[in-house]
Amino acid sequence: MTATQAAPGGVLGQRLLRKEDPALLTGEAQFVADLNVPGALHAVIVRSPVAHARILSVDVSPAMSVPGVVAAFTGKDLEGEWAGPLPCAWPVTPDMKSPAHLPLATDKVCYAGDGVAVVLATSEYAARDGGDAVAVEYDPLPAVVDLDDARSDRVVIHDELGTNTSYVWELTPDQAAVDAAFADAAHTVHGHYVQQRLIPSAIEPRGVLVIPQPFNGEYTLYSATQIPHILKVMLALTVGVPETAIRVIAPAVGGGFGSKLNVYAEEALALALARKMRRPIRWIETRSEATQATIQGRGQIQDIELAADAEGRITAVRVKLLADMGAYLQLVTPGVPLLGAFLYSGVYDVPVYSFSCTSVFTNMTPTDAYRGAGRPEATYAIERVIEDLARAVGVDSAEIRRRNFIKAEQFPYSSAAGLVYDSGAYEQALDRALELSGMDGLRAEQARRRESGDRVQLGIGISSYMEMCGLAPSRVLASLNYTAGGWEAATVRLLPTGKVQVVTGTSPHGQGHETSWSMIVADRLGVGPEDVEVLHSDTAIAPYGLDTYGSRSLSVGGVAVAIATDRVIAKAKAIAAHQLEIAEEDLEFRDGAFTAKGTPERSMPLGAVAFEAFTAHNLPDGLEPNLEASSHFDPPNFTFPFGTHVCVVEVDTETGLVSLRSYTAVDDCGVQVNPLIVEGQVHGGITQGVAQALFEEAVYDEDGNPKTTTLMDYLVPAASELPSYVTDSTVTPSPTNLLGVKGIGEAGTIGSAPAVINAICDALAPLGIHDMAMPATPERVWRSISEARGEEAKGS
Amino acid sequence: MSYDCAVSVRVPDSLEELVTGLAADPGCELLAGGTDLMVEINFGRRRPASIMSLSRVTELKGWSEDAATGELVLGGALTYTEMLQPDLAGRLPALAQAARTVGSPQIRNAGTLGGNLATASPAGDTLPVLVALDAVVVVESADGRREVPVGDFVTGAKRTALRPHDVVHSVRVPTRRTRQEFLKVGTRNAMVIAVCSAAVVVDLDSCSVRVALGSVGPVPLRAHEAEELAGEVLDWDAGGVLAGDAHRDGALERFAGLVSAASRPIDDHRSTAAYRRHAVGVCARRALERVAA
Ligand SMILES: Cc1cc2nc3c(=O)[nH]c(=O)nc-3n(C[C@H](O)[C@H](O)[C@H](O)COP(=O)(O)OP(=O)(O)OC[C@H]3O[C@@H](n4cnc5c(N)ncnc54)[C@H](O)[C@@H]3O)c2cc1C
Repeated sequence: MTATQAAPGGVLGQRLLRKEDPALLTGEAQFVADLNVPGALHAVIVRSPVAHARILSVDVSPAMSVPGVVAAFTGKDLEGEWAGPLPCAWPVTPDMKSPAHLPLATDKVCYAGDGVAVVLATSEYAARDGGDAVAVEYDPLPAVVDLDDARSDRVVIHDELGTNTSYVWELTPDQAAVDAAFADAAHTVHGHYVQQRLIPSAIEPRGVLVIPQPFNGEYTLYSATQIPHILKVMLALTVGVPETAIRVIAPAVGGGFGSKLNVYAEEALALALARKMRRPIRWIETRSEATQATIQGRGQIQDIELAADAEGRITAVRVKLLADMGAYLQLVTPGVPLLGAFLYSGVYDVPVYSFSCTSVFTNMTPTDAYRGAGRPEATYAIERVIEDLARAVGVDSAEIRRRNFIKAEQFPYSSAAGLVYDSGAYEQALDRALELSGMDGLRAEQARRRESGDRVQLGIGISSYMEMCGLAPSRVLASLNYTAGGWEAATVRLLPTGKVQVVTGTSPHGQGHETSWSMIVADRLGVGPEDVEVLHSDTAIAPYGLDTYGSRSLSVGGVAVAIATDRVIAKAKAIAAHQLEIAEEDLEFRDGAFTAKGTPERSMPLGAVAFEAFTAHNLPDGLEPNLEASSHFDPPNFTFPFGTHVCVVEVDTETGLVSLRSYTAVDDCGVQVNPLIVEGQVHGGITQGVAQALFEEAVYDEDGNPKTTTLMDYLVPAASELPSYVTDSTVTPSPTNLLGVKGIGEAGTIGSAPAVINAICDALAPLGIHDMAMPATPERVWRSISEARGEEAKGS
Repeated sequence: MSYDCAVSVRVPDSLEELVTGLAADPGCELLAGGTDLMVEINFGRRRPASIMSLSRVTELKGWSEDAATGELVLGGALTYTEMLQPDLAGRLPALAQAARTVGSPQIRNAGTLGGNLATASPAGDTLPVLVALDAVVVVESADGRREVPVGDFVTGAKRTALRPHDVVHSVRVPTRRTRQEFLKVGTRNAMVIAVCSAAVVVDLDSCSVRVALGSVGPVPLRAHEAEELAGEVLDWDAGGVLAGDAHRDGALERFAGLVSAASRPIDDHRSTAAYRRHAVGVCARRALERVAA
């Protein structure tokens, strides 16, 4: 990897090292847990050890005898603190059922990890001992952990709802066409897939610190959050503190992957307790606590059917989804399946579409957005089932995709599900990925290994994906019943010395926005990226914003920065024209200076204009001082990145161990601001998809007890599990924004899991194995092989 | 329950000071690398009132060769990283192989042989290797010194022959002409607890093979019948190698079957017993193939 020093101007597309990294690498960056506030009380939440029970009693008095404990409260004690329940911002249907959800449970616990009491102490140790001392009596109820069982309403978790079904959501534009397509099909194939629950596992667990300002009733809330702006509004509604009295700051935040895109009980509790105690309140999540108290991802059972003609051209897609909401609806829990609902036809030109989703409550940690949110699931289903179609038709994996791709000339493409895809060149990405992966040599080696009956078999898996990201056009969100818009805000200021200040409403937590936004501005203004300061993640500094998730920051927030920059240039031009006594249309702006066309010696650098704007000694009549402009950009459409991944695995047929031999990814996210950052996103993204395919699963036993509560049991892969990825890209600009950019934050995760499983199935195809549940652990693979060979999975 | 958080921590400078301190306060926990103990303390499973650190007890550190017997003497505080250094790894390749699979670099820098023995987890990775090497644990206390074969030292899952005031002083490994291998199946390559493991030692001096299995029983298990079979099928005149004849594959399969049969695995959330039984046979067979090819 090479990185170059930026030259002023022409910065876009350079592999600049990230501005953020020195502070992170030297440990200077301040995370919530690093903030030391004198007099703060440490909060520990007492959590239910059982999945489903009535609370008979909670006795916090033993905690009070622990030295250092200052106060302890039950859910009932705090009932009066709440102006509203913890929010769900996405009532996807008018009749969606949502249980009341308070920060601490009062009568019933609905998952292992549900909070029942809080202990405040002068040290974290004392708070923990106090928490252990709280005595809670539970009357256990049968737990619901299986989705079909949940749907049956054998046990209804929330009595007041009368059912475990939260909602049913349908997207079938033309039922008759669906029926006809399946009736007339030459081939139909069906896939049944389980998207296991995943634990997001950001490197920094959550944490919150609230500092009350005793005299004016204001609060500064630091949180390890992706969404300081949304959090501020929602906490105002939940805790009943005026929005104007809350300042939210997201300091350095160590990753989120969607798990910090939420309004959590602990944030509401910390604010309410700071109000009640008039002291700073601090809560820091432990890693094991995070496996229960932080939302989980996926949790879906998918049934997908394809109808196709004799050549394998897909004529219809029909999908039925059963989605696990967990015990309660968190901020966007019910919306996650909808983010995938439109994408089950993948990269293919499919005329007829049908999707329906039933979402149910279970006695497990609530689910919510996790990297890709709905789209990895959709991609997995279509990219897996198309392999069955290839087999039915008798063509290979690449050919079945070629026959069905939306062609480059069909863009903008209106999908049967109702989206308009901005741009794409799907076959080009496939060709490049096949070329880079050395497909011919691999097939030859595979044949040799098959023939010689090698213990280790080779498999090659392809996944061609596209996704919709860049949340989002506000009107589209309205049509999906989302309660907020999808715009993003930016302000750009030129300071008197020619330095530039950028204020963004996005809230980075590892993505490198400071670097990328600096590059966008530097490129347009002709200054160096180091001359640009990017301010973010503090609602007092950046009052407007909708934060960071859904691969939206660049294609919405970055575009807002570009627009605001151009507005600054326009104003600067008027000042320069005035000072140079020349008509504006006779000036051009290049390399950081306004220059008279044809007379290059009549020129004024931007820095000089900034100083003139600041002194305001000689401005055109009617023009206000200073160079500052804002943009509130509402994107006209999503962006639709795409690509093809090729995964090569070695499957040890004796132990069932799957090793990645190579992984090739060709991704297209349109114009790249900083390819180094793009690669970083792709690397991490692929790894999270590989993790789902091979390693990770949040396991619950039949009583709803979580079994994967440490990183020894929840298997996040490490470097030693992974090959060096081969990454490459094609560039198909998005026509819907002035930078031509698309999101890349989730693409790697969306494309990768099916590539891995397709590779395993390819390796084992001679045994008649065509499906493998995730995660494909050695034991699971070994069992499949034993069964296929007609052996008992014996081992004795 | 007492909420007195005070813990006394002593840092003795010598073995003498350590064992007398222990005799006076047998409830005291020893702290070596802390990679097992601190996990227990952090989860609140153990709350020792007093702790003694081994960090300055030089007698427990490093390893040496006993000039009189030729045995290797591995200090109780020998770290995994030290087991991986070429000098020692060249002499005890199976132990190095086991050390290589332990935890992460940080864990290998801190974790010790004595800690692994004293914890005596069924998944302790050095245990099957030490059993297959016929090693002997040297236990020291104020009462004196005694030697316990590793197989007798580990008495059950997380149980040992250590008395409260004992210290693992060292481990003595007989030097014989051997070829050795250790293989482990886990759910991940690094930072993983063994689903099963097997150590195979071909002993050219005694013309015998020793096979010890990890994570498939409460204690490391010897696979005696498999050892006998291996002893018969190896060509000792040719240096203890497997004959390349037509019976080779069949013999190896029988060997794997006998290893599986010797295992006594349980179902847990990391693996089923059935898979462990199967995979430990594969591990042992591959280990034998590697050392006797
Ligand atoms: C992340 C992680 C990964 C791990 N991976 C593995 C793995 O792959 N394989 C594996 O086998 N283990 C693994 N372990 C467990 C652990 O690292 C080993 O068991 C290690 O050998 C313990 O040694 P220690 O020096 O850290 O022991 P400590 O934690 O210091 O002590 C453990 C126990 O042994 C006692 N003790 C220590 N030294 C002596 C002595 N000389 N005499 C008497 N008693 C003593 C202590 O009092 C204590 O009760 C892992 C642990 C962690 C945290």
